[in-house]
Amino acid sequence: MSEALIIGTPNSGKSLLFNRLTGMNQKVANFPGITVDISYGPMLANPALELVDFPGVYSLHSISEEERIAVRAFKKSLADEHLDYVICILDASRLEKGLHFAMQVLRECQLHGKPMLIAANMIDVLTKHDMHLDTRGLERSLGVPVLPISAKTGQGLRELEQAMDKNQVSQHQHVPVNFKAISDVELRRMAHNLAEDCGPKGDLLIRSQARLDAFFLHTWTGGAAFFLIMYLLFQSIFTWSAPAMDAVGASLAWMAALVLPLITPGVIRDFVKDALFGGIGAFLVFVPQIFVLTMVVGILEDSGYLARAAVICHQPLRIFGLTGKSFIPMLSGVACAIPGIYAARTVDSPYKRWLTYFAIPLMPCSARLPVYTLIIAAFIPAREALGGLVGLQGLAMFMVYFFGMMCGLLVTSLVSRVGPHSQQDMPFVLEMPPYRLPSWKPLLRNSWNRARHFVTKAGAIIFLVTVIIWILGYFPNGGTDLGASWLGRMGKIIEPIFRPLGLDWKYGVALLSSFLAREVFVGTLGTLYGIEGADNDMVPLVDQIQSSGLPVASGVALLIMFAIALQCVSTLAILRKESNSLKLPVQMFIAYAVFSYCAAWIGYQVVQLF
Amino acid sequence: MIKTLWELMQGEKCLVQGFSQALDESYRVRLMELGFHPGEQVTCVQVPRLGAPKLYRVNNTIYSLDDSVATLVDIRVSE
Ligand SMILES: Nc1nc2c(ncn2[C@@H]2O[C@H](COP(=O)(O)OP(=O)(O)O)[C@@H](O)[C@H]2O)c(=O)[nH]1
Repeated sequence: MSEALIIGTPNSGKSLLFNRLTGMNQKVANFPGITVDISYGPMLANPALELVDFPGVYSLHSISEEERIAVRAFKKSLADEHLDYVICILDASRLEKGLHFAMQVLRECQLHGKPMLIAANMIDVLTKHDMHLDTRGLERSLGVPVLPISAKTGQGLRELEQAMDKNQVSQHQHVPVNFKAISDVELRRMAHNLAEDCGPKGDLLIRSQARLDAFFLHTWTGGAAFFLIMYLLFQSIFTWSAPAMDAVGASLAWMAALVLPLITPGVIRDFVKDALFGGIGAFLVFVPQIFVLTMVVGILEDSGYLARAAVICHQPLRIFGLTGKSFIPMLSGVACAIPGIYAARTVDSPYKRWLTYFAIPLMPCSARLPVYTLIIAAFIPAREALGGLVGLQGLAMFMVYFFGMMCGLLVTSLVSRVGPHSQQDMPFVLEMPPYRLPSWKPLLRNSWNRARHFVTKAGAIIFLVTVIIWILGYFPNGGTDLGASWLGRMGKIIEPIFRPLGLDWKYGVALLSSFLAREVFVGTLGTLYGIEGADNDMVPLVDQIQSSGLPVASGVALLIMFAIALQCVSTLAILRKESNSLKLPVQMFIAYAVFSYCAAWIGYQVVQLF
Repeated sequence: MIKTLWELMQGEKCLVQGFSQALDESYRVRLMELGFHPGEQVTCVQVPRLGAPKLYRVNNTIYSLDDSVATLVDIRVSE
């Protein structure tokens, strides 16, 4: 099979061209070593040719290790005999930058004896401004075919497809200069002169962009727009994905009702009911959230707003060692850490992304809500404070939420100041793309791919942990008494750890099982107290906790522990996949376990003083 | 007069003169590749308040740079 590689700088329209040329028939693979996807698929017009959509890089001179890996991979594929030629796409409305990159690519192609073709994209923008690109002149100077196209309108794509023929591309290589011998400084000067000679002359920036920027970056209007957009983003995760999540839950229940009567009661049936359906349900509920959030972040990115939001958030987040681009992943983390960790892909500096990973699991995700509700209902009287202005319970809830966020920012400030400062950082030089209407099809596909990535990459481990916890809780007595099960025994063994917090083994067991998902804590604790369905109606469990005489200090310790500890197998699994390292989730798990325990202990002691 | 890019006011134009020694070599190369090379004209198009990164125009592209980078680019104000 022969192959052609598409390469280009970010925002050159590479993805759109790739989608045009391959149609819907494409696959996504994780790029080895870095958190970017690489897509490939047969070309529609010539299925014998496989197109590879290479990750967008600004330059072949890499700054971060991540870019270095991408550039190295590019050079490696140039040496591959299956590779027929390279298509370099550039944005004709920013010709100098594009040409500089194209010449770097040309130099590599020359070095490896591979032919190259240039697709000068965004030609519709030039036409709209009555401007012209001298493709003949470019061809003469560079010695490779240059085709004017618009990936958006489809203009010139026919000609491009026809030109995409191995023999034809090879025949049209008459590179007049030996690029190998040209220095970088010289290359840049050449790009500059060539852009002057052949490029469009004049102002190509749409005036509306400046007006929109004046609005969106203004202190008041921009601030208001920012809060509105972030509110919508946040709401969308709940309101758009909630029905889908309910539907997932309902269809699983429906399937279970269909299947379970066919199995004779016993261990198999219990396994199918609790481990199989419960386990699948545990990770399928995340899928709608991931889909919706990928979609919304994609809309923000495509529309150009993401870059503006990063500008707005940059200064305040920098205090905590982060960058403006960390904001949206962290905000998503307030709903659920998993889509937040995925959204961190938009942070281009690997070092800042790594720091953002630290903050996300401390954002008060929605799975903590039932736990907080239970503990607060049990310990905080339902009184009003500040002369009836606020309810005491609501105030407590707000404080735990705030506490989690502050802890997250505290951790990043600390790590960024005392932690290892790697060579992985990038300067804050952010291209402000024009405001555009998003293209829906690629967005939908991207969201779909992301959801699939989660199910295939994290599903197995989440399922495995579910099964293990189920086995521990079921045997040796056939699920009749959780307290006497292996899990119960483990809880009793680790009881000494929790005693300094005034908690007994029941809480230990509930904590162990909440590793599946934090809200499981409520149901498990209920079961241990002999209350069925505590996850739906907390009142009996609240009464039970109150009458058990658990001190308030222990309640506070529990709240603190839940705010900090990274006890969520799904988050750990996806951190492992996204960071491409086992070390990071393991380190984070241990560090946050120790941190949460110490903080809980301090909280316990402080409350006891009163 | 030599100033840094960060000192450029909204609407002002300048020519890039060079880079501070403190700027990492790889960052300097990247900035030049993006268009900020000596002799190039840069316009400051917007200065959001509260110390946020400023918006600069080079050729037909707008970038936002924060002070950690923009204070390391030497410029001469033109016009
Ligand atoms: N006007 C115009 N816009 C385009 C064209 N090609 C791509 N775009 C837009 O440019 C933006 C960036 O495109 P994308 O394919 O995501 O670029 P990538 O970062 O190189 O993959 C998207 O909003 C596209 O809709 C084109 O030929 N004309």
